[in-house]
Amino acid sequence: MSGGEVLLQQLIIGLSNGMIIALIALGYTMVYGIIELINFAHGDLFMLGCFCALTLVGALGLEHTGSVIVLLAVVPVFCGGMNWLVDRLAYRHLRGQKLAPLVSAIGVSFVFLNFGLFWGGLPMNVFGGGKAAAAPKDFPSLVSNANLLSESNVLFTAKDLMVVAITIPLMIALTLFVKRTRAGKAMRAVAQDRVAAQLMGIPVDRVIGQTFLIGGGLAGVASVIFSLYNNTIYFQMGYRAGMDAFTAAVLGGIGSLPGAVLGGLFIGFVRAISDQYIATRWTNVIVFAILILVLVFRPSGILGARHREKV
Amino acid sequence: MTLLDINELTVKFGGLKAVNNVTVSVSPNEIVSLIGPNGAGKTTVFNVCTGIYEPTSGRVCFSGTDVCRPFCWQTALGLALVGVITAKFLALAVNIESLWANAITGNYVYQQPFPWMKALISARETLAGHWVLPASIGFVVGIAGAFAVWQRSRRAPEISARAGIARTFQNIRLFNQMTVLNNVLIGMDTQLRTQLWHAALRLPLFWRERREAEKSAVEILRFVGIDRHLNELAENLSYGDQRRLEIARALAMKPKLLMLDEPAAGMNPNETQGLMGLIRKIRERGVTVLLIEHHMQVVMGISDRIAVLDHGEKIAEGTPKEVCCDPKVIEAYLGKDEGGGMRDE
Amino acid sequence: MKRFRFHWLFLAGAALLPMVSPHLSEVLRPIFIMAILGLGLNILTGFTGILNLGVAAFMAVGAYSYAILTCDIYPFQLGFWGATGAAILIGLVAGVLLGLPTIRLRGDYLAIVTLGFGEIVQDSLKNLDVITKGTQGINPLPAPPHPSYFLFLGFLSVVVLINRNLERSRVGRAWISIREDELAASCMGVNVMKMKLTAFALGAAQCSLAGALWASFLGSSGEPGNYDFQISIIALCIVIVGGMGSIGGVLLGALVMVGFNTIVLETFTNFLKAHQLISSTNVFTAPGNWKYMLFGLALILMMRFRPEGLLPSKSVKAELHHDPS
Repeated sequence: MSGGEVLLQQLIIGLSNGMIIALIALGYTMVYGIIELINFAHGDLFMLGCFCALTLVGALGLEHTGSVIVLLAVVPVFCGGMNWLVDRLAYRHLRGQKLAPLVSAIGVSFVFLNFGLFWGGLPMNVFGGGKAAAAPKDFPSLVSNANLLSESNVLFTAKDLMVVAITIPLMIALTLFVKRTRAGKAMRAVAQDRVAAQLMGIPVDRVIGQTFLIGGGLAGVASVIFSLYNNTIYFQMGYRAGMDAFTAAVLGGIGSLPGAVLGGLFIGFVRAISDQYIATRWTNVIVFAILILVLVFRPSGILGARHREKV
Repeated sequence: MTLLDINELTVKFGGLKAVNNVTVSVSPNEIVSLIGPNGAGKTTVFNVCTGIYEPTSGRVCFSGTDVCRPFCWQTALGLALVGVITAKFLALAVNIESLWANAITGNYVYQQPFPWMKALISARETLAGHWVLPASIGFVVGIAGAFAVWQRSRRAPEISARAGIARTFQNIRLFNQMTVLNNVLIGMDTQLRTQLWHAALRLPLFWRERREAEKSAVEILRFVGIDRHLNELAENLSYGDQRRLEIARALAMKPKLLMLDEPAAGMNPNETQGLMGLIRKIRERGVTVLLIEHHMQVVMGISDRIAVLDHGEKIAEGTPKEVCCDPKVIEAYLGKDEGGGMRDE
Repeated sequence: MKRFRFHWLFLAGAALLPMVSPHLSEVLRPIFIMAILGLGLNILTGFTGILNLGVAAFMAVGAYSYAILTCDIYPFQLGFWGATGAAILIGLVAGVLLGLPTIRLRGDYLAIVTLGFGEIVQDSLKNLDVITKGTQGINPLPAPPHPSYFLFLGFLSVVVLINRNLERSRVGRAWISIREDELAASCMGVNVMKMKLTAFALGAAQCSLAGALWASFLGSSGEPGNYDFQISIIALCIVIVGGMGSIGGVLLGALVMVGFNTIVLETFTNFLKAHQLISSTNVFTAPGNWKYMLFGLALILMMRFRPEGLLPSKSVKAELHHDPS
């Protein structure tokens, strides 16, 4: 492969991975934007979504590509529901506090982690008969790996197409939702000024619950795509995913939806370039070094609003 | 010689002009009031003077100098130093594996004395030829980053505080979880010289300074009238006492200029009388006072001069007598159709 | 009359414990070390209000510095005291290095950066295996001077004393004012940048000390994977569950957190093993597999019902040293 082709390949890899990170980052940044909570449990929620997807594949015996629709229908609902439930049980009573919800989120993260461990130990074939609960599980190939650019050295497979085909319409739909619908406007209002929104008659707790629902749903979509793309899941994968999502969201400006997408893509590209041209083992260091560098020059992230304190 | 010079100050937030070409000056030992309807830009002017907002254009000078850190040769030296350190760091970091392998593990023989000079020489050799690129990148990034950080902290509120400007806030901003005494002691922070090691090791300077500082603090609290609440948490004080505590904390800074943002808000007539007496006492101590107020009784009662803002612009300035009869002022407060002069509330 | 503070009670009790129960004092040394780590984080998060999610990085810096400086595979061989002193200084520098570029960041951005710093340090240690010996770790290290129980307790006592002295002084006051209201503190002339850097430096130095003691306790630097996010989270929970900003609270938190993991869980597991109730094919029966769940639930319930922590700090009550008459 020529130098240009290598670069193009990295861009494609970066795009696909970046989109997945962007989806997870979106869910995370929406929740942060509305209650300023660093939701540690978000990565582990993503992990649970992957396990849910695998369970569906095993239980329903899904085999061909079309069954992706089933996964996309069920898993986001599962994840969204879990997220909503967690808000109701663990965070709702802690509104207005800063550190208590954070610690609570850490607690939820550990609970989810343990769920993942137990889930992997269920006596199902897809989980290896429950013998090694903590081991990584294989996810069957429902989407083919064949190169769509048949003659080229550059790989652009059906998997890459799937990523783009699902995420782009989803992001457009999300933007329209947030900008045009009443529920979306309510979310933006609560994010900007909770007390004022309350005074305007907006049911704040209900709106926050909806935000968790949608954020969780986005994580669910991401988990379906990830599982189909990478064909392997393990109960500790939430940590890495969460880290990437936090970094992407901060890079783009926490609370900003386009920022999360920008951040996710940026990290996807940086990872791909670093893996190829420097060394995989230094990729994490490079990503964070770039994060720190960007924040020195733009302390609120690339698209973040400059926070002006009201005096 | 004026103490505070606000010169053609304009402050824009996005498209909104909060302050538009305002010029006000305050001379030593005056009591000047800044009045105007809500949203006129008064607190914004305060915030620019104390370094919280950046002016879009115009200047604020205190005792003749602009209230921001100037870019002088020391700054340039500091930036260059940061650049050099970053360059060295990056050059070492990028090459650390080969440096270590050649200098240390290469020369170390178990249980034999280590040849330090030889190690240093191998280190130099390993580095030669591999340091230029990382060092240059490090130098540029270091200087740019340090400059960005410096640029953002040029007008930090600490600078105007140390120049001699103290202030209170419209919505009281006390340190709620700290005691009354400790709130005042924070105000005194700029005058204390106790450093980390004095405090950690309880050296004599620590004890001496603590004694003197607490004595001073109690005196200030007595001056303001709340010394019986010494060990109460600030959040437990009554509203009027909290306002007094804020003033005490500001006075602890031994300021030349005291800026009070609506000190009489929420006070009953008795309390406003007490406040006016306090402000006069403060002036007698040699402190110049600039205040924002809506309570006309207070404004008319103690001001030497009044400046009136409306919609970000100064519409009148003068003695209380002159201002209360100015038709523009009456229009700003009461609207066009009302007539008559401004009455005391 | 001075009230009896919990931290003095704790230290006194710990000093007397070996006479009462020699076995129990075996398990306490990790608790002392985690308490020092917690106290380091307490300076940053408890006093100054800077959320740091990557203190494990400073602990790793201390552990590896100590290991490199004492192990006989390298020429330095400084011995316990020299290496520990050097580890503290190196930690201090690391703290300043992290603090300088991040000083003006808003709280939550800074938190993510500290998280990233933790990753950077962990990965760097893993990758630079020429120096750090990768997952093998640097060992063996000479044993700490005897008796190590009282040595570690001594270090903890000194750290407690210094922290308490700082808390009730101009320095501690400035830190707490920054936590309460950074803008107001700045308007009062507090040098916010300098105080934050001091907090970073001192907090990192203490966490580094904890790392050095840990390495000396283990007789090895441990592997980079040991100084991961979980350690940072345990330290954070020690501070928050114990009571933010309260020194006694941190000690209690360390006792509870580490004690639960090592003492309670182990005893329970041994009990079940002895009665052959643990089956290797059923993931639900091994108590060790429940520890995340229990830990998580404990945190959630704790925040729901007692978010101020077990021993919340009484605010710095100034003792009157001057007669007001």
